[in-house]
Amino acid sequence: MLVSLNWLKDFVNIIVNSEKSSLNKVVVGYVEKIEKHPNADRLNIAEVNIGTEKVQIVCGGVNLKEKIYVAVALPGSVLPGNFEIKKSTIRGVESNGMICHLSELGLAKNDGKHEISIIGKAAPGTPFVKTLKIKGISPEDLRDLLTLKTAEVETIEKADKYLQKVVTGKLLDFEKIPNTKYHHKGTVDIGGKIIQLVFGSVHVAEKGWILPIALPGAHLPGGEIKEAKIQGVLSQGMICDDSELGIQNSSNGLTVFPEGTPLGKPIAEILGIDDFILEFDNKALTHRPDLWGHYGIAREIAALTDTKLKPYSPKITVPKIGETAKVEVKDFELCKRFCALIINDIKVGESPEWIKKRLSATGHGTHNNIVDVTNYVMTELGQPMHAFDKEYIKTGLIVRRAKKNEKIISLDGKERILDEDMCVVADHEKAVGVAGIIGGENSEINDKTTSIILEAATWNPSILRRTSVKLGVRTEAVQRFEKSLDSAWGELAIKKAAELILQLCPSAKIAGPMTDIKKPDLDKKPVKITLNVLKAKSKIGTDISISEMKNILEKLEFKVTTAGKSSLLVTVPSFRATKDVSNEDDLIEEIARLYGYDNIPTVLPELPTKLPMENPERFKKHRTRELFSYGLGFDEVYNYSFYGKSDLKKSQIPDSHHIKLLNYLSEDQTHLRISLIPNLLKNLELNVKYSGEVKIYEIGRTYKEVGQFMPLEEKKIGGAVLTKKKTDEVFYEAKGAIESFFDKFNITYKAVKGTENAPYAHPVKSITYLAENGKTLAQIFIAHPEIIKAYGLEKYSVAMFEINFTESLKLEKRGKTYKKLPRFPGIDFDISVVVQKNIEIETLENAIMDSNKSLITNVDLFDIYEGPNVEKGKKAVAFRITLQAQDRTLTDQEMLEVQRKIFSNLESLGGTIRGKN
Amino acid sequence: METQLKELEKSAVSEIEKISSLEDLKNLEVKILGRKGELTGILRGLKDLSPDKKPIMGKLANDVKTHLEEEFRLRMERLEHDAIKKSLSVEFFDTTIPPKTKEIGHIHPLSQVQEEVERIFSQMGFAIMDGPEVESEYYNFEGLNIPKDHPARDMQDTFFVQDKNDPKHGRMVLRTHTSPVQVRTMEKYGAPLRVIVPGRTFRYEATDASHDTTFYQVEGLLIDKTISLGHLKGIMKEFLSRLFGKEVKVRFRPGYFPFVEPGLELDFSCLLCEGKGCRVCKHSGWMEFMGAGMVHENVLKSGGIDPKKYQGWAFGFGLTRLVMMRYGIDDIRLLLGGDLRFIKQF
Repeated sequence: MLVSLNWLKDFVNIIVNSEKSSLNKVVVGYVEKIEKHPNADRLNIAEVNIGTEKVQIVCGGVNLKEKIYVAVALPGSVLPGNFEIKKSTIRGVESNGMICHLSELGLAKNDGKHEISIIGKAAPGTPFVKTLKIKGISPEDLRDLLTLKTAEVETIEKADKYLQKVVTGKLLDFEKIPNTKYHHKGTVDIGGKIIQLVFGSVHVAEKGWILPIALPGAHLPGGEIKEAKIQGVLSQGMICDDSELGIQNSSNGLTVFPEGTPLGKPIAEILGIDDFILEFDNKALTHRPDLWGHYGIAREIAALTDTKLKPYSPKITVPKIGETAKVEVKDFELCKRFCALIINDIKVGESPEWIKKRLSATGHGTHNNIVDVTNYVMTELGQPMHAFDKEYIKTGLIVRRAKKNEKIISLDGKERILDEDMCVVADHEKAVGVAGIIGGENSEINDKTTSIILEAATWNPSILRRTSVKLGVRTEAVQRFEKSLDSAWGELAIKKAAELILQLCPSAKIAGPMTDIKKPDLDKKPVKITLNVLKAKSKIGTDISISEMKNILEKLEFKVTTAGKSSLLVTVPSFRATKDVSNEDDLIEEIARLYGYDNIPTVLPELPTKLPMENPERFKKHRTRELFSYGLGFDEVYNYSFYGKSDLKKSQIPDSHHIKLLNYLSEDQTHLRISLIPNLLKNLELNVKYSGEVKIYEIGRTYKEVGQFMPLEEKKIGGAVLTKKKTDEVFYEAKGAIESFFDKFNITYKAVKGTENAPYAHPVKSITYLAENGKTLAQIFIAHPEIIKAYGLEKYSVAMFEINFTESLKLEKRGKTYKKLPRFPGIDFDISVVVQKNIEIETLENAIMDSNKSLITNVDLFDIYEGPNVEKGKKAVAFRITLQAQDRTLTDQEMLEVQRKIFSNLESLGGTIRGKN
Repeated sequence: METQLKELEKSAVSEIEKISSLEDLKNLEVKILGRKGELTGILRGLKDLSPDKKPIMGKLANDVKTHLEEEFRLRMERLEHDAIKKSLSVEFFDTTIPPKTKEIGHIHPLSQVQEEVERIFSQMGFAIMDGPEVESEYYNFEGLNIPKDHPARDMQDTFFVQDKNDPKHGRMVLRTHTSPVQVRTMEKYGAPLRVIVPGRTFRYEATDASHDTTFYQVEGLLIDKTISLGHLKGIMKEFLSRLFGKEVKVRFRPGYFPFVEPGLELDFSCLLCEGKGCRVCKHSGWMEFMGAGMVHENVLKSGGIDPKKYQGWAFGFGLTRLVMMRYGIDDIRLLLGGDLRFIKQF
């Protein structure tokens, strides 16, 4: 939300330092005598006492009189807008300064009247700033103050920051550049200098127009302007429309200055842009309906700076009799309060500069005086309004639910199809607006409108929010209504809008009393909360006195009475009571933030006597990572929890058991994963571009539909080993990784051949690890050739695995028992045997072990060989065997006996012992 | 004889000093102290001496021998030392050849930082908790005081799951924050509570360099009888100082989250400029870090804890953001991109 500092000044005395310096030479003056200017009807000559001397000043203020105190800008003053006061001669009479209106000092709004400000009594010559009794604050300090105590201000910037080096220039002549589609070459007078520039024809410009010209060095929102050749033609500047300047000044988007405007003048000066704009983070205002207007922000600033807030009191008299708007609210659930007022004899036209300037500065477009006034009141008070052309309203207004498929063309020209959950404002024939969201085209204010019905209602926030989401319309109005607005604002808004309309169209007349329809129990008792002072101190964590708490709350317009030694009875003001402040904690927040979060001491809580619960799974996850990464050389990847249909197809996983997303962002993120494998395959696909050796793993969850409300979430470890060589080695590397993991956590398992429910696995080159209870702990496999092909990995060998981490850890056995170190030396010897290729290593190992179970302590496979020197269909397998006895040193005789037995066992499997004589 | 011995001693010492090769030294030793050497030669005259002179000369000769043997030994050591030194100075050795290492794998930066966070909070007495990633609307929203149609739901664009609806728990969503675990933990363990919940969270929002559908958060919750905002400052200051290995300042700002009241944003002093203001902190001197606040009484009630007896705070910060900040990662999508050229850097 954008907030104008100048606008805030309507309600709170605030002065930023950079302005303060401009008031250096403004002093209090006492008008001793005035006489008529001999050569001008509307001017007077005043003799003003400025303390040290009496000076003569020519003044045009219509309310100038003798014996008043005024603010005098002495020669040398530079007032906001870069307006320098000089000693001068006005129609032949010397003038030594200027008697000011507060608006000329940047302290009030310019209401267009030719008045001076009459100030309170003070010693003549006193610097005027001192009489204001307001503390100056730098823009940065104001930003920080609000950010630290109210809501985040993202930026505070001078409103003219983009307008440096943008001046007025008169378009003298132009022509189309031959052979271009739309480029024109023009000459522009920028005040004593003629420059040439190239421009497009987005806006129709005419000779003699005075336009904003950005000169080289100007920093526009779109970038810096430089002298350049465009279409071969030198361009020394740019004609800018409002959007290019970041202003919203003209209704058609291009600001054209009136004839006679001085040339070469900074346009900021001409437009009077001397404001600071604060940009609030909207999210930080979510819970503060009261801050969605300037008055609310001014109230905060007043509280934060101990300054007085001016009351919001439109000066308007509503007639007691006359025509009133007929309004019927069908259901108070939809609308708590509906205020309406008829104004006749209006004249629709352009708004005055000061309204346009303020709306523009706060990011609003301008339309016509009536619509601008409704936007102005919304931006000022926070209450959105609507104006209907009365001529198009049949009989009266009705607030009701929309009918199913009821249609309305909204102000943006789009057809909206409504339903019964939505709320409309209708007349007796048709809907004329979607309540609180957007008006209807059928009753829109137009040039010929002469009579209007102003509406300011308090709508149901939830209904509006749902409607806004359904229709996809997010207006400033709904943004405010959905926060729950104060119903007291309806009446205020109507009065303020009426006041402005009467000011802008002197012909306008209020037709009669304001219609005010309220939900029956609306004026119920205000919200009262008992605040336990001790609780507040305990939660904030510091000792704040009861009187300080009271003081803080009162500054924020809460009414506070003491209710006992340590409790306060607090009445919440209506603008905070809609949702925001409803319990003790809400009051504690008010106290804490105004007391200053910075003032809360930093302390550590005492450690609990009860130790925290352990989370062994977390701990083991980290140990597992160390094993895989630092022990086994795998890299850890993180993948998304989703995949899409094409991934399912490529990895051949069926669609069943998947949890599917209702709304998704892309086609490859539609299903929640039930396996880590597909995304790991994608990782391989990506990484083979850069490396022929990949070893990766991921620890992540899978989400399986199991026919209950909550899906089954399990933690898995998935992994892959890929190499450029054609080899099954990858399988054994993966097997090594899994078995290391089981060993590390001392998990007992049973390995069986093959896999189930793993369509991506090679049917033969795969194993499943089972728990004793039959649950699958892990699968290892060579990737199925079709999968390999689908992922373009034909050149590689790929083994993969998936471990059910959750299930596996359930089986972890704590503690191992130590085996005594051998006291007697063991004997190692090697055996090489040639066997049929299809005999498994496990069979050979068993045959060896069976030879002497008590003496053989280790059998180590160290080579499998097929190829030259070994008969086709056979393989040579070599083992290192260790014999050891617990009670003696083994003799050669014993060793030979075991060896002989091993030989015969292997030979009985059809093996030939190599090197045996 | 005495003169002869002294002469021999003197000349031998000077000769020893001149010798520069081990071989020459050995030869000299034989020549002087050998069985047929010069000293033996002189000692042959011993038998011709008078009995009273014999022992005196004998002792002198022995002293000379001992002295010379020592001189030879010292010279020998010196020469051996020089020889080694010389051999070292001529040896060519290339220290610039790349090291031979067994390539070790890499742990993902998110895991590394997560472990660090868990370790620090464990040391401060916090338990590490876990909760489902596919969560019910109730736990993700209503239980946290975010009713339907609450504007705060805008802040959390949500992934919904198909065909899941429960009268009590509503629809099913991918959790948008780790906060649902607050209520789950309260229900399960009651008060007091001192836990953190690191975990994966999801937002339905278009991805770019700073937004991803999937990211990691750390939730914290401390509930006891007298827990205050001052304690939140204390814990976070301690945590961040330990995490960054230097003294860090923290500050609170008002913030709004429906599940806390008062609600806060916590910033920490910029690590680079230490609060003076620089490009990294956008000249504010502070880094935005997390949302926090005193747990809302409705949330305590959802979790079955009596807000009259217990109070406490909760916080939630972005682990993903912390990782990006720590390593200067400028594109969030790298974290779940699976590109090993990225992961191998950690």
